[in-house]
Amino acid sequence: MKRERETGVRWAAALVAAGALLGCSGASRSEKAGPAASGAPPSAMEIALVTKAMDSEFWLVLADGAKAAAAARPGVKLSIVAPDREINIDQQVSILEDQTRKGVKALVVSPAGSAQILSALEQAHQRGVPVILVDTDAPFDKKVTYIGTNNRRGGQLAAKGLAEAIGGGPAEVALIHGVPGNESQDERAQGFIDALASDYPKLKLVARQPGNSERALGLTVMENILTAHPGIKGVFATNDQMALGAMEALEARSLRGRIKIIGFDATKEAVQATVDGRLAGSVAQNPFLMGQRGVEAALDTLDGKPVEKRIDTGTELVTAANAAKYLK
Amino acid sequence: MRTPWWQRLAPLLGLFLLCLVLSLASPHFLTVDNLLNVLRQSAINAILALGQLVVIITAGIDLSIGSVVGLTIVILTLLMRHGVSAPLAALLALGVGTLIGLANGLLLTRLRLPHPFISTLGTLNVARGAALLLAGGVPISGLPPRFREVVAGSLAGIPMPVVIAALAYLVTHVFLSRTVYGRDLYAIGGNREAARLCGIPVDRRLNLAYALSGAAAGLAAIVLAARMNSGFPLAGTGAELDAIAAVIIGGASFFGGVGTVGGTLIGALIIGFLRNGLNLLDVSAFWQMIVIGVVIVVAVWIDVLRQRVGRAA
Repeated sequence: MKRERETGVRWAAALVAAGALLGCSGASRSEKAGPAASGAPPSAMEIALVTKAMDSEFWLVLADGAKAAAAARPGVKLSIVAPDREINIDQQVSILEDQTRKGVKALVVSPAGSAQILSALEQAHQRGVPVILVDTDAPFDKKVTYIGTNNRRGGQLAAKGLAEAIGGGPAEVALIHGVPGNESQDERAQGFIDALASDYPKLKLVARQPGNSERALGLTVMENILTAHPGIKGVFATNDQMALGAMEALEARSLRGRIKIIGFDATKEAVQATVDGRLAGSVAQNPFLMGQRGVEAALDTLDGKPVEKRIDTGTELVTAANAAKYLK
Repeated sequence: MRTPWWQRLAPLLGLFLLCLVLSLASPHFLTVDNLLNVLRQSAINAILALGQLVVIITAGIDLSIGSVVGLTIVILTLLMRHGVSAPLAALLALGVGTLIGLANGLLLTRLRLPHPFISTLGTLNVARGAALLLAGGVPISGLPPRFREVVAGSLAGIPMPVVIAALAYLVTHVFLSRTVYGRDLYAIGGNREAARLCGIPVDRRLNLAYALSGAAAGLAAIVLAARMNSGFPLAGTGAELDAIAAVIIGGASFFGGVGTVGGTLIGALIIGFLRNGLNLLDVSAFWQMIVIGVVIVVAVWIDVLRQRVGRAA
């Protein structure tokens, strides 16, 4: 009898805890709405930001930019959702479908797969939800705008930075790129390859391997490249996670400084590594501006204001010389 | 081994409770539009889980299905890109999936590898590598629009992926419960030696089970290709884990001999509804992983409790 009651108490406690969890999440959600929204229906002006993942500083900063733009406008509720890994493109498709059905007024999207998510974007468009693309473009002709880095130019900048870091003379270099088919990653790689061919003929590209934008893969890929091409002098990794992974591979073999690495994104960790002389540099994008302009473009579209078809958020090569301002 | 009807209702009750909670938590959950949406999103995992169920019933496991999806989706889309008609390409994709599945079976029954975990772990890597090689690492797009319209469209308002999955479930249900092959698979999973002594051709039946799992992966690849309108070599990465989760949540036993098509369907739907509901509530993907992990453990724990009660009664 006593035993039974104890079990009952435990179940009740579990139920209360579950209810509290749900209740809390409900509270935090309504809290996001601005003061003017209190009287209005909760979904009056809901915008969703759907990124490729939430596993790096880049996405967190982009989300901060979006939050800042949403906070500047009372009555706007911003939902931020993402797959658990950039490679889970089908999960992003499901998220887009779910958000569209939830009745968001606009979607700000960074496509995990430019071709794969087209049908989900098409569905959103058919339901009258405007689509703003940030960070990565997709061949979706009904998009309001694409806001992001000129990635090809970023790749060229990386080639310039690598050539300067290596100094004169012929040298072998390698490229570690992202998930193939990811447009922004492909563009960076192509910009780098084109710049080597046209401007830096002394740099010879001897290896190009995918690191799927992941740090662990950046490390293993770098180890393989070192084994196959021990004479290599420089590496361009199309994001900082892979660059930092590659850097670990070099340090494990005490090759710090002998092989120059350029990353992409200028995350805090990469900039610090640049200051410490462990990375040669990183190409900075402006994810905050992408998130901010993304939400602003969504609001402008909903207000019926015109939005430019392409908004460049700029790039800059960060080296030890100018790193200070990125460490703030 | 027959389980009483009231024991089989536990997963269904779980699904019902989940839907109840989600419809209270989000006003967007309980709409025809969203329910069809979840069914469409769950179709691919449901089909994969079906193949996994057949193998798990024999006390086996098939880790390769995610990679088989990747390889067959690449072959399917490459064939269509090179002018092969969509129905023929789809048939060939099913064939490729079945063959890889058969290879899994043969590795187990002919080479006598000690456990299907090993044979299918091998094919997991081989198939993924082959997919990446064939596709040159990049997604293949530009499929005939008709393929997409037919396979990812809808029939009388019901999404085609759902129709396809429903047919697959019906066929597998009949296969498992009404044919001698199905009964043999349960017998093998229950006690392999006893099955052998009873004159069941154990090796041939195991080959069949793995071939069916491969075929299910091929079918899932066809649906996925239409849904994503492209073939990408990394498609299905990790999909085997969701499929295994669906089968286990649906009440099948890892030790073989126990598991139903209906339970697996409910398992796949629980995962689908959970993901959808958490998306509607803007819960981060990281929390979703934690929730799904907890659900797997709790589902099996309830199963353990149930069996203890059953034995006591």
